[in-house]
Amino acid sequence: MKRFIISTYKVFLREFKLVTKDMGIILFLVFLPLAYPIIYSLIYNPEVVRDVKMIVVDNDRSALSRELVRNLDATQEIWIKGYAADMNEARRAMSDHKCYGILEIPADFGRKCTSGEVGNAVIYSEMSLLLRYRGFLVASTNVSQAMGAEIQHADINRSMPLAETIATGDPLPVANISMGNIESGFDSFIMPGIVILILQQCIILAIGMAGGARHESPLITGYDSYNESTSVVGSLIGKVLAYFTIMIVPAIFLIHYVPLIFSFPMAGNIVEEFLFIIPLILSSIFLAFSLQGFVRERESIFVLWVVTSVFFLFLSGLTWPRYAMSPFWKFLSDLVPATWGVEGFIRMNTNGASLAQVSADYTSLWWLTLLYAITAYCSQRWIMRPLQFRLKKAA
Amino acid sequence: MKQSGFRAIFIRSLLQIVRRPVYWVGFFLLPLFGFFLLTNEMEEGLPEQVPAAIIDKDGSSMSRQVSQTLSGMQNVDIIADCNSFTEGRHKMQEGEIFGYFLIPENFERDLLAGRSPSITFYTNMTYYVPASLLFKTFKATALYTKAGVMLNVAEAAGIDGAEVMPLLQPVNIQARGIGNPWLNYGIYLCNGFVPGILQLMIFLITCFSLGQEIKYHTSIQLMQMANGSIWRALAAKLLPQTIIWMIIAIFMESWLFGWNHYPMHGSWLWITLSELMFVLACQGLAVFFFGVLPNLRMSLSVSALIGILSFSIAAFSFPVESMYPAIGIFSWILPVRYNYLIYVDQALNGWDIYYSRIWFVAYIIFMVLPLTVGWNIKRQFNHPVYAP
Repeated sequence: MKRFIISTYKVFLREFKLVTKDMGIILFLVFLPLAYPIIYSLIYNPEVVRDVKMIVVDNDRSALSRELVRNLDATQEIWIKGYAADMNEARRAMSDHKCYGILEIPADFGRKCTSGEVGNAVIYSEMSLLLRYRGFLVASTNVSQAMGAEIQHADINRSMPLAETIATGDPLPVANISMGNIESGFDSFIMPGIVILILQQCIILAIGMAGGARHESPLITGYDSYNESTSVVGSLIGKVLAYFTIMIVPAIFLIHYVPLIFSFPMAGNIVEEFLFIIPLILSSIFLAFSLQGFVRERESIFVLWVVTSVFFLFLSGLTWPRYAMSPFWKFLSDLVPATWGVEGFIRMNTNGASLAQVSADYTSLWWLTLLYAITAYCSQRWIMRPLQFRLKKAA
Repeated sequence: MKQSGFRAIFIRSLLQIVRRPVYWVGFFLLPLFGFFLLTNEMEEGLPEQVPAAIIDKDGSSMSRQVSQTLSGMQNVDIIADCNSFTEGRHKMQEGEIFGYFLIPENFERDLLAGRSPSITFYTNMTYYVPASLLFKTFKATALYTKAGVMLNVAEAAGIDGAEVMPLLQPVNIQARGIGNPWLNYGIYLCNGFVPGILQLMIFLITCFSLGQEIKYHTSIQLMQMANGSIWRALAAKLLPQTIIWMIIAIFMESWLFGWNHYPMHGSWLWITLSELMFVLACQGLAVFFFGVLPNLRMSLSVSALIGILSFSIAAFSFPVESMYPAIGIFSWILPVRYNYLIYVDQALNGWDIYYSRIWFVAYIIFMVLPLTVGWNIKRQFNHPVYAP
């Protein structure tokens, strides 16, 4: 037993040396978790889409139609860029990428609104981005309700001066409250999930590259990557612990400092969050050691693994919620550590859930750790180890 | 002893691809899996049936009526009936529901007595898509309820039924989405992300295959076969890849617009031309990366960095004009951005090709970029040094 611990410890120490010798691995473990979240957050940091360009075709030219245009221009979402004489001119402007929406006000708009009929105006939205459409929808709903209430007020007072009870107060006020991401910002929505994906991917890329290096001759890589103790379990534990130790600082940076720097919601308890990502890190490390058998060359990990970040993003439920996935995709996403990590971390960090409240995700992560520990053992025992011995003998 | 010339390099390059499994995975398995994953996952268009809860603290006939209206809405699945705000919040934190609808105590009594009780609904904005759908549904339910109440009051006050509706909503602004009126999520995301996957793989494979020559010192042989001309070497080396990528790009086009019936309001010819030029533009930019950093790992790192960031900076979900100008400017150096702009102009909106002319010119600029770095690749190919 004592020998086992000592030899495991030796593997642990040697793995550090190997990692620091390989600039590629250092880049994945240090540069990637430091730089990616910063660049990402900077892209989305404006959070909301403001002042989307819109052109007006006003066939009415009444006081009310001008008021409508002014009110829309005053919203956060819309910027009235100008008027067009007719729809053809407005469409040409849209084709020329000068606006993303057209407001068409029909000729009888003002008269209808004030004479007890419904005045209909239409916003045509360009649909390449749903965020713009969403802005138009929110702004137009708010403006039409506010203007409607004013007209209502005047109307009711005119037709029934006695019915003041209706006119003076809203009989049923409606309020909506956004939870978690209270400003409904895009950055605060997407980044807490992205940092978890980055954490998983940088671990797998780094260990995958190390695995590729172990397939290659020391003459090419420039260093001897041989690092095995007498037992497979011992070498695996030693290496896993080495990567786990290295990942502690980047992980804390990702889950604590990135939200702090970009002032994302931080409702969670940092200690509980750290406890939560321990099995995430471990299962990612074991998954990476399982995959080492397939990476034949240091650099092929780029070709094989970088694009999976996109797949995992779509499987994580961040862009398309998991309840709406078909059973096959749901099953596949169940096998990805980041899926559970994203779900649990978002709820802890943004909604302020406690560790107990995300216990389903937490236990799933531990089950994945167990599953991938077994596959990692198999991969190391039957693929990596014979290979290492062969290379050692050849050298 | 060694064959030389364009054809020999072409065959050598083809054999390299066929012999290594990593190319099979990179050329076919990963891109095709990605195409299938994205389009198939979002096939439904919208994630309907958002799990939500109702908190009915009143329990009157009127509040039950509101609950029934809500349960009948298309986009919501009321899976729980909570007794308190706290219970609802806990269910949200545990991830069971994405929002809840609160009817206060004495709702019916206060409403009939004119004491203005308020309806409040809560949506979990940490998940944008379900929360937005839920918001829409909750708001509609609340407004229906309000309209019903006002209808009753107005009728009781003696206003004629036909006059009531305009009274409730005198100003009506409809928002109509051109090209994607269903707000289909697949159409919105896949048309940007699927070419994005293709771009990333083209970057990676191009740099990987060029870097291999340096790593295994085979570039000397390559240069001899090309009689010392770097352009012949590069063209013959990359042509097999160009052919494969073009076949995949045409497949992608038919997969998106044919098989999945995404909107295609323009000419197939222009979209096809765009996809083919897109492949060449991506290869051109990748060769440029390799020329600037003629090192296997560094050029792959740059490819990965730019390829992955493209999904965000090319603005498939967050518009360029809302980004910081210093960040948004980078969207112009990505081939996939032009692919996306041409798709928006031609396929989604069906505008005249005149309005997209600039985007095609941009492709050509990417294609000629390698001309600026050929000398450096030549130097490295003649004296290969592998830096791990």
